[in-house]
Amino acid sequence: MHFFSQDYTLSHPWSHVVIGMWHKYPNAKCTHVISVDVVDRSVDPKTGIIRTERILGCKQKAPGWIVKVFGGSEDAFVREISFVDPARQTVDITSINLSLAQFATCLERIQYTPAPDNRTTFAQTAEIQARFTAWRTAADGLERWLVQRFEQNAQLGKLGFTDVLRALEQRQTAATSAA
Amino acid sequence: MADSLAPACTPLKQEYDSCFNLWFEGYLEPTLANATETSRKAHYARKAEEFEAKCGKVYKEYQACLQGAVKERGIEPMLQQAREEHPLKEAPPLLPKEKK
Repeated sequence: MHFFSQDYTLSHPWSHVVIGMWHKYPNAKCTHVISVDVVDRSVDPKTGIIRTERILGCKQKAPGWIVKVFGGSEDAFVREISFVDPARQTVDITSINLSLAQFATCLERIQYTPAPDNRTTFAQTAEIQARFTAWRTAADGLERWLVQRFEQNAQLGKLGFTDVLRALEQRQTAATSAA
Repeated sequence: MADSLAPACTPLKQEYDSCFNLWFEGYLEPTLANATETSRKAHYARKAEEFEAKCGKVYKEYQACLQGAVKERGIEPMLQQAREEHPLKEAPPLLPKEKK
């Protein structure tokens, strides 16, 4: 498991940052995000908390071997759940990869909270974790398949070679009797 | 505004986004000024109702369009599994403040 974290301060008031987060894409500096869709949204009439669930479509620049080995495609999807709490003045955003999630997960959290002098604190953490049970299952499957292929081929190889030897023997017998 | 993952749904998606953005800008600003809890609560309730009234129809149309594409592109099972694993129905606890 790998952890990542960073904090910095934005020189904009919290309310501007929160409005800005809905306008982040398309972004010339983040061209890998090609689509953004809301799949669920609720506004709590009591607390005022807005919960939004979105799917971000990304063009991943994964190394070719990853796409080949894991059967992924060029498009990768990320699920993002955000909570805008106007009373507490916090925004909490969690993002998790949907694509290739059976092999590894990247869970990112971002928080925006007000900072003194009309500024906003940005806090980000990420956990990247490979799923060893899934790897184990995949590796076991690959191993079984390889063993089966080997056994089949070994059997066919034996039969094939026996045929060659028998044919050779017959030719020799024929040659001897002809002489 | 970003496109939808389904090009056919992009016009509805952008219409919905515009509706939400317009509503949202009026959501935050007066809320910050409204200090008393009673008036704040009344504001949330009123705004939640207003959001449904203004953007509810286009949201339903957008979702109807999107759902087909989500199935077609194979996203649905991945989304279901992710929702089971991390329902995130409520905001997770605040991140600890980093010591500087």
